[in-house]
Amino acid sequence: MKNNRRLLSGPYLFWSVSFIIIPLLMIVYYGLTDPEGRFTLSNIAAITTQENLKALGLSLLLALICTVICLILAYPLAMILSTSSMNSSSFIVLIFILPMWMNFLLRTLAWQTLLEKNGVINLVLTVLHLPTLDIINTPYAIVLGMVYDFLPFMVLPIYNVLSKLDRDMVNAARDLGANGLQTFIRIILPLSIPGIISGITMVFVPALTTFVISDLLGGGKILLIGNVIEQTFKQGSNWNLGSGLSLVLMIFVIASMGIVSKYDKNGKGAAF
Amino acid sequence: MSNKLIDLVNISKTYDSNTVLDDLNLYIRENEFLTLLGPSGCGKTTTLRILGGFETPDSGKVIFDGQDITNLPPNKRQLNTVFQKYALFSHMSIAENIAFGLKIKHKSKKYIDDKIKYALKLVNLDGYENRTPESLSGGQQQRIAIARAIVNEPKVLLLDEPLGALDLKLRQDMQYELIRLKNELGITFIYVTHDQEEALTMSDTIVVMNQGYIQQIGTPETIYNEPENAFVADFIGESNILPGIMVEDRLVNILGAPFQCVDEGFGHNTPVDVVIRPEDVDLVKPEEGTIRGIVTHLIFKGVHYEMEVTANNYQWLVHSTDMFPVGTEVGIRVIPFDIQIMNKPLSEDEEAVNIEE
Amino acid sequence: MKNAAKKIYLGLILILLYAPIVTLIVLSFNSSKTRSKWGGFTLSWYRSLFDNEAIMNAFYTTLIIALLSAFIATIIGTAACIGMQVMRKRSRSLFLSIANIPMVNAEIVTAVSLMLIFIAIRMNMGFHTILISHITFNIPYVILSVMPKLRQTNRSTYEAAMDLGASPMHAFFRVVFPDILPGVLSGFLLAFTMSLDDFVITHFTKGPGIDTLSTKIYTEVRKGIKPEIYALSTLLFVTVLLLLILVNYQPEKKASPVKKTITTGFRIRTAMVRRVLPALLIVVVIAGGVYYSSQGVLNSDNTVIVYNWGEYLDPDVLDEFTEETGIEVIYEEFETNEIMYPKVNSGAIAYDVVIPSDYMIQRMIENDLLAEIDFDHIPNLKNIDPTYMEQSRQFDPENKYSLPYCWGTVGILYNKTMVEEPIDSWSVLWDERYKDNILMQDSVRDAFCVALKYLGYSLNSTDLDELTAARNLLIEQKPLVQAYVVDQVRDKMIGNEAAIGVIYSGEAIYTQRENPDLEYVIPKEGSNIWIDSMVIPKNAEHKENAEKFIDFLCRPEIALKNFDYITYSTPNAAARALIEDEDIRNSVIAFPESDQLTDCETYSFLGDDVDRIYNELWNQVKSK
Repeated sequence: MKNNRRLLSGPYLFWSVSFIIIPLLMIVYYGLTDPEGRFTLSNIAAITTQENLKALGLSLLLALICTVICLILAYPLAMILSTSSMNSSSFIVLIFILPMWMNFLLRTLAWQTLLEKNGVINLVLTVLHLPTLDIINTPYAIVLGMVYDFLPFMVLPIYNVLSKLDRDMVNAARDLGANGLQTFIRIILPLSIPGIISGITMVFVPALTTFVISDLLGGGKILLIGNVIEQTFKQGSNWNLGSGLSLVLMIFVIASMGIVSKYDKNGKGAAF
Repeated sequence: MSNKLIDLVNISKTYDSNTVLDDLNLYIRENEFLTLLGPSGCGKTTTLRILGGFETPDSGKVIFDGQDITNLPPNKRQLNTVFQKYALFSHMSIAENIAFGLKIKHKSKKYIDDKIKYALKLVNLDGYENRTPESLSGGQQQRIAIARAIVNEPKVLLLDEPLGALDLKLRQDMQYELIRLKNELGITFIYVTHDQEEALTMSDTIVVMNQGYIQQIGTPETIYNEPENAFVADFIGESNILPGIMVEDRLVNILGAPFQCVDEGFGHNTPVDVVIRPEDVDLVKPEEGTIRGIVTHLIFKGVHYEMEVTANNYQWLVHSTDMFPVGTEVGIRVIPFDIQIMNKPLSEDEEAVNIEE
Repeated sequence: MKNAAKKIYLGLILILLYAPIVTLIVLSFNSSKTRSKWGGFTLSWYRSLFDNEAIMNAFYTTLIIALLSAFIATIIGTAACIGMQVMRKRSRSLFLSIANIPMVNAEIVTAVSLMLIFIAIRMNMGFHTILISHITFNIPYVILSVMPKLRQTNRSTYEAAMDLGASPMHAFFRVVFPDILPGVLSGFLLAFTMSLDDFVITHFTKGPGIDTLSTKIYTEVRKGIKPEIYALSTLLFVTVLLLLILVNYQPEKKASPVKKTITTGFRIRTAMVRRVLPALLIVVVIAGGVYYSSQGVLNSDNTVIVYNWGEYLDPDVLDEFTEETGIEVIYEEFETNEIMYPKVNSGAIAYDVVIPSDYMIQRMIENDLLAEIDFDHIPNLKNIDPTYMEQSRQFDPENKYSLPYCWGTVGILYNKTMVEEPIDSWSVLWDERYKDNILMQDSVRDAFCVALKYLGYSLNSTDLDELTAARNLLIEQKPLVQAYVVDQVRDKMIGNEAAIGVIYSGEAIYTQRENPDLEYVIPKEGSNIWIDSMVIPKNAEHKENAEKFIDFLCRPEIALKNFDYITYSTPNAAARALIEDEDIRNSVIAFPESDQLTDCETYSFLGDDVDRIYNELWNQVKSK
């Protein structure tokens, strides 16, 4: 009987080997060979060229900034949602599910309309006699786009942890003499670390690897590592080089996951 | 006992049009072990939370040591709480948990270390400083929660069903432990439970509550032996609650048979409720009883036998060390002192007091 | 006070999240085709939406892929969870960490890896490859939703059911399944939404002639989004919003008997809302999908796969061709020659007709990618002005492989109101006064063409010193540039976003029509004159159809139709003669005199090695 039940994961096993494991091995293979199929490390080493290093560095920097901003914005939001008496599940739908029905590219593109020199925001600012905002086609616009696109992924895990937090723990801290701030720093914050960590990865990884947002809001002036890989595959058609760079990217992703699992020992920070 | 320490005056609390406490008045004396007893939803936990400062009453006042603390936040109150599910800080060690309140008050390291040692010794868990809460059993976590509260030297310790999550044996051990602790510390304990046995075992004073009202306040003996209404009688222990007519002082007619009793002042031919504890029903030979009945059920309970006797169309519950097989005809006798007379509820409002849970 | 602060904060977050959405909704009522200009209120995009087969097709493809992939992923994922539950802890955690890979891995890496495997096993890219990819990234979401629910279920209920005589199957479906159903449903919904919103993975795994909304939008971004897309998105959004409101609408619970009838009424209504409406929606979706896909579906193998520049053909022409010949056209678009080349080169997709530019055709000929065209099958060749056939010899020396489709120059489009003097030189692109007002072309050759010509070199230079000088010039220019774009130059110039843009001559007529302040000039230093020609790749599977298609495009009235639509200069002499508007027929922008073109050169293919140098130098510019 038990064996029969175990068989139920068979299709999944087949699927993940065929479409997750083997494809990743393909990347490893291509990344470590040249077009003639000979072993080489040059595709990996390509990351050290000045342009690629710069793209990678900029990606890391922007992803980091985006993650920090998301965290700062999301934490109070998650706190409010987890403590308020109003129906927070519908609010979560409002911020998380509903916008997804407007295509992600369109939503990001809409920021172009908003941020452009003669865009909506600047029109409003001009009417109010305020200085105009010239951030379109700069890294600021990209960070804004990233924050906009990935904020829900930070809110959700933190909200999940906070809403599962035993209210009596907060009460206990208050009872033992801690004021609101002390309670937050000593109890709520440390206990919500799994959620924060999970939120950080869910924002950092996509922000690190995006090429669409930089494409749409960067005016083609800013190359992120995602753009480099996309162009290598789609325009340069150099699969070996592209795979090599993907491997490097994967190493960064795995490294950040490693840091995460160090803090999130119990897997409490599940987002869904 | 000594003077009033806490006074709850006209406390009312409503959640979404659901009245949890209605004009509650209660005082608690220094050095008292007071238990709030009642079924779930009776308002006992809300009362405790108002004391702890986690809730603010809609109206009424909380007076502590002569001062109005109604709107004082929990961290400014001189009382500490032991929470139902312990609420130990899972990200801290045992020592850090216990030290939490002391560190907030910026006590010296030496003082804190001494306090931790003392508290752990007090709850019989010496040497557990560096363990994590998760590695402890329920009973141990409970004792740590108590240790964490008492190192702050509160005047009052609030305990919210602290033994609810423990198994029977552990619960009984902890009851003795709590009594010992209270005697050693010499402070006031306010204890919330729905378990009448716990209440009877530990308390100096029991407050029986239901649906936001206090039903009766008294010592365990008074509450048990002289319940003031059917709710208290039924909630505390098992009892036979029988319809009766108070013929005159010290004579009550129960199910058509006259019984001598000790109660007076109910008037003549007044309908009343009569409470008789199962262990107070004496089974005797048919001809010696006030009324006769037939044993219809028999279960051996260890300490005693539990029997059901049908007499005058009523099922009497009887606890006795003597055994009468099913089918035996028996006589029922109750000594006057064991008959408790209560007024019948008059209005529908009072009917609401009746047991539903 | 504190509560007010909370409300304000929530409000600000909502404004941040919904500002773009409101913008899109507003744009759907904008009668101007250009995103950056408000032209008045209109509902016409909603009307034309349903006639726009390309968009509706993409929409239904998106929905069907989302439904199917979510459904299949739900089945596989739920089964996997049930199986995993009885596994030992170690194998279970191994399984779970595999499930995590697509969730935590970079999307682009997942996409690339899937693309590589499809190519390796020679699976033709198309509907099924997108579906497989979506299932792959959807399964983890299902597992993550179902697993916790399954852990919560009381194992003994399952055993109790079996104890009471139920078969394992029966026990599962009657006892366990209802318990985990909420998890399964939310997994399905999550997977559905994720699939709906995906772009990156579809972008890498899609084939020709198939588009989801995302990929459709991505190709259109370059050229300007069709307003119908805004209309569609608005409709979608509003529908989902209404559905959510209806589903969450709870009548107040009052149990008094007097109100019982009313409550029953409510109950029926909620049941309606909860069950019937979503079911109805699904029926509409599927029926619509069947309807629209039957319009575009291939009834036979009688097809021709065309790979062309974005917005480079009147869609009506395709319909007319199919109507006349019965040959279905699978039409795909590319943005630059550099994107097109590897696709053809990889052979993953067997295109029948491709329309690249001169130097790329040369490269394709040199790398033996093209088939010779049998000109006997193309009688309409007679309409093509022989001058252009002659010019074609630069990249197709024997006129064997290609047939001119459009031609033009690269020049400067400027806004007369935003510059101080008439412009006639590339030097203006390095003028500090126009900082942040300059739009450059985001393609290697065009960018270097500008710099090389400005320096007085040939745009086909292979001299490393000359190229380095050009690179340095481009790096010097970068701080002045507002954006590197391809087709977006058009919309941005119309919307007065920039003063000066590098653009193809073909766009000039259209932009002047939309914004009379714009003027086009071929700089005096000379520029690029280019020809885009029709070619047939060697691996084409429908060569005969390809030739029919090429011949069709060479008909004067068809060429005219295309000219009217795309406004790029046609080499078709017969078609030019048919242009009614005299100004346009004799326009020096569309049909420049030869003395204007003296310093203009055609690109030639410089060899893979030089190409690589160009790319490297360009990357250095871009990453500065």
